[in-house]
Amino acid sequence: MSKHLIEAKNLSVTFNSYGYIVPAVKEVDFYLDKTEVVGVVGESGSGKSTFARVLAGLQFPTSGEVTFKGENIFKGGAAYPGELRKAVQMVFQDPYSSLNPRMRVINAVTEAVMHHQHASKKDATEIAHNLLQRMGISSTDARKYPSALSGGQRQRASVARALSAQPEVLLADEPTSAIDQSAQSQLLELFAELIASGLSVVLVSHDLGVIRYLCDRVYVMESGIFVESGATQDIFHKPANPYTQKLIASIPK
Amino acid sequence: MKDNVLATIQDLRIDVRVTRRIRLRIVDTASLTIQKGQLLGLIGESGSGKTMLCRALVGTLNRRGAYIESGSIDFEGIDLVKAKKKDWRNIRGHKIGYIPQSALAGPNPVMRIGAQLAEAINQSGKKPSDEVRRRALELLELVQIRRPEVVLKQYPYELSGGMKQRVMIACAIAQNPKLIVADEPTTGLDVTVQAEIMELLRSIRKEFDTSIILVSHDLQLINSVCDDIVVMHAGATIEKVPSSKVTAALHPYTHALYDSRIDLVEPRGKLRTIKGQPPSVGKWPTGCRFADRCDFVKDVCRTTDPTPFAQVNENQWSACIRHKEIYGGAK
Repeated sequence: MSKHLIEAKNLSVTFNSYGYIVPAVKEVDFYLDKTEVVGVVGESGSGKSTFARVLAGLQFPTSGEVTFKGENIFKGGAAYPGELRKAVQMVFQDPYSSLNPRMRVINAVTEAVMHHQHASKKDATEIAHNLLQRMGISSTDARKYPSALSGGQRQRASVARALSAQPEVLLADEPTSAIDQSAQSQLLELFAELIASGLSVVLVSHDLGVIRYLCDRVYVMESGIFVESGATQDIFHKPANPYTQKLIASIPK
Repeated sequence: MKDNVLATIQDLRIDVRVTRRIRLRIVDTASLTIQKGQLLGLIGESGSGKTMLCRALVGTLNRRGAYIESGSIDFEGIDLVKAKKKDWRNIRGHKIGYIPQSALAGPNPVMRIGAQLAEAINQSGKKPSDEVRRRALELLELVQIRRPEVVLKQYPYELSGGMKQRVMIACAIAQNPKLIVADEPTTGLDVTVQAEIMELLRSIRKEFDTSIILVSHDLQLINSVCDDIVVMHAGATIEKVPSSKVTAALHPYTHALYDSRIDLVEPRGKLRTIKGQPPSVGKWPTGCRFADRCDFVKDVCRTTDPTPFAQVNENQWSACIRHKEIYGGAK
């Protein structure tokens, strides 16, 4: 039995694109412990998003396995069977396309609450309002359509929706790359709060500032493999791999 | 000092036609000067009017239904506000180059890189084709693209984001313009690519003595690359400060922006956020538009309208009427 919350072993994902075999993730090992925050950094095309999608169960691996509390999540045809599905929730990169444009924000979150917490519509609406309030979205704003909200507000609404399942792990795929600096600060503070309350987070990003601020450990990904991993402090102060060194050197000072 | 100025924007106001009757003011009292060979950073949150100011400089406002309501843009003695379509043909590309925001959507997807460069090089259509080709290769080498002969024959989808942005830069400098307007040239690109592009812009400036206006919402980036920083908030320029003196800025908004940098705090420490949202277009309050978000606000801030964008010392301007009170005058 594994002692880690999420563990990936020998994980590979290969895409078949018009006859070309494209290996996106190549035999990587990964683990996440309870109440830990782990960052995955790398440049575009390095496979970090694909990797996050596998952890979320949205993408089946070509080989290797992912276990959640020691249980294989890809059993049979479905990922995260049964109640396990709630345990890992994802926040996507683009706040402009991840909310249904024809649903008021409150309804989008209520729907998720009803589904995951088996609440009546009345209770679910109240829970949803509270959740959104915690994310800093007032009940007036909650009744608006996503188009009437700013990018930062939308991203916080997406976080509220992900939290409606009361997950143990939050997977965030570049949550801050599409929003402004001030909105980014607000979202990061929110994440820090959630982490303090015991949530485990996998954060995929190419923004090293964000990684440094939130993460305990970092995996550095380059063309499908983890070239370096370790505690955030060590990676930032003593990068061993040439690619990591280049990455750290590119931060504007 | 005075004759070193390349372009001056004075009290620019830009309106957008929403319907036949309704107009929205999106840029109000923006002023800035850029000197020859200067790298000027323009920073502000989304919706603060940065892009519209850039478009005013390259004369493409009308494509977004916007127009200059009042104010002047003086570029080497030419008033760009009054420039006609015919005049623009000799300015855009020749004197002012433009690098657009989205590197990924920048180049025309159905044209080969060579053809696109040729268009930028040979705007008059009178140059012989071998000369155009030689210049295209020269430009690609200048922007440090490897194997330029191959790239000339390729389509944009075959290139990476960083390479596409390099091609856009090559197009912008094709006619050796005196001013390059780079509108968030690295948004959506990786940090490593971003560092390379910035290095490239700096080397271009050094080699050709070009002035560059670099637009971004990343203060950290602007601060590390530029000579001077101009800060925009809700359609107005509110501060001009040399990047070396950004910690001695004279507007609370600049300080708030600087303080919200995440590398200044301990991991998971308290971030210093700017409270609230920037006022939305059309709902600007009278007086200082930053008043609702400012920690130092007093009644006088809301009643003085407009807040003058005044020169404080030799190279610092501020639109905060109480900067003396707050920061103890010019240092």
